[in-house]
Amino acid sequence: MEKKQKSIDDILPLDLIHRILLRVPAKHLARLRCVSKLWYSLISDPQFAELHFHNSPAATNATIFIDHINRTVAYFVYLEALFSDDIDTSPVKVVPPPFKKKKPPTDFEFLGSCRGFVLLHRDPHFLVVWNPLTGYSKRISYSRIASRCVYKDISLPCKFYLYGFGYDASQDDYVVVVAWQDKDYHYHLDYLSLRTNSWINLDAAFSKPSGVFDINSCGLFLNGAIHWLPHSPKTFRDAILIFDLKERTFSRISGPEQPVMSAFSYSNLALLGGCLALYYRNDFSHNTHIWVMKEYKVHSSWTLHEIPCKVYQLFCLSSDGDIIVRGYDEVEVEVGYFIYNVRRDLLTHFEDLFYSFRITDTVYTESLLPFPSDIKDKDKKKKMKKKRKENSVMQW
Amino acid sequence: MGSPVKKIMLCSSEKEIFSVEEQVMVQHSVIINNMIEDGSYNHEESKIPLDCVDSKTLKKVIDYCTHHTHHHNDNQEDLEAWDAQFLNVDSNGLYDLLMAANYLEIRNLLDLIYGTIKNMIKGKKIDEIRRIFNIKDHGFTPEEEEQNRKEYPHFY
Repeated sequence: MEKKQKSIDDILPLDLIHRILLRVPAKHLARLRCVSKLWYSLISDPQFAELHFHNSPAATNATIFIDHINRTVAYFVYLEALFSDDIDTSPVKVVPPPFKKKKPPTDFEFLGSCRGFVLLHRDPHFLVVWNPLTGYSKRISYSRIASRCVYKDISLPCKFYLYGFGYDASQDDYVVVVAWQDKDYHYHLDYLSLRTNSWINLDAAFSKPSGVFDINSCGLFLNGAIHWLPHSPKTFRDAILIFDLKERTFSRISGPEQPVMSAFSYSNLALLGGCLALYYRNDFSHNTHIWVMKEYKVHSSWTLHEIPCKVYQLFCLSSDGDIIVRGYDEVEVEVGYFIYNVRRDLLTHFEDLFYSFRITDTVYTESLLPFPSDIKDKDKKKKMKKKRKENSVMQW
Repeated sequence: MGSPVKKIMLCSSEKEIFSVEEQVMVQHSVIINNMIEDGSYNHEESKIPLDCVDSKTLKKVIDYCTHHTHHHNDNQEDLEAWDAQFLNVDSNGLYDLLMAANYLEIRNLLDLIYGTIKNMIKGKKIDEIRRIFNIKDHGFTPEEEEQNRKEYPHFY
């Protein structure tokens, strides 16, 4: 019997192997590349990475943060693994950040994530883009802005008015947007194209947004645009500020009609199952309202879920459609990670291993997406053609 | 007792004919459902030829569809136990089932098999995966293989 067994690669059509690999979580794929040349070429295809990122039922969501005592390592908490019996996936992974060992920075911070790439600040004034799964990283200075800024010793995320990290599909480019104030108290908007390594000034598109925006507002990337919400919006009309990365223009949309808005509420945005979600907690009733905009920019699609705990941060949906949060449970008097089945009640919770004074963690979805190749502006077109060819073999 | 149960004929690669309740196959197989709906299947004369599915595999596929039609109200645990027992086959048997389920577009069976194969891969080292899937010729040059082993020793 044993002798008759044939190789999977000889038996199954490519299409079926492709579909099996699409179901494997991204973190296992780096290993599976080494199984055979065939698997290597299937997994290394950038189209596969794109398809896997958007369609795989095996999306792996993690939150990442730095231990404030030992600031040389990054913690990844795999959210779904916290609540599963899956012994193969350890819920916590410690990863050294992408810095040279000889010269580690004295300070670094996570600023956001987009399509499996994490944006970091490292001192003195550098932005670092990093795909922890493929190991790719790239560093760019923002000292030009820092030197003109009204605040001394400025470093992201502090003292920046608004900032965000996103992806412009029309240019295949990752971008960082920052709004800041110069020494004459004028507001500026700058746009960093990570592909061309260039800063573009967009002051013309920007005027200081009305509404109570707080300094240090990290934007949320969704549908080619970055979204911001004031921590304490006075009104829900036009509360959400949107910057479209392709058009490079601002617009606004309204939040849901709000039922009760206490002065103690603390509003925030999150991504929930690919939809924009707005949440705020009520410190009196000890619960949290989560509004999900089921259809993007369709006001009537805002749908309310109520969760019986104070949510500090809304993370993501599990593969079963349950809501995963970090918060405080008044009844159990516990701070930790919680998972809620919104149709029923609390499913389970997990003690917070790293309780510290973190306000927000960066939520990150693993991907194998390659970073677009560096392009200098002048020979952009020529290289575009070349790049398409090169992309058939992915760099790791 | 009402009208007799409508049957359809399926023909394996060995030309063996299997008679199955129409409803069972219509419910599970997108392809057969389409054939019945668009009238391309004639109950008097037609047999559905499944040239790439052998008798042994076809019998299993019919078993699966029949069980899931008649026992879909069973509790989840019983169904899962039945599925686990059903997929207790060697890897060739599993590939045959996968190809048959793919050909007939039986989505819940496909999901079940993909899940099983995913679990066979999970947490395993490269050498183990190669053994499980019987990959003797991995296609890497000796230099590439050595390079990979050097670069990612923890994978092996």
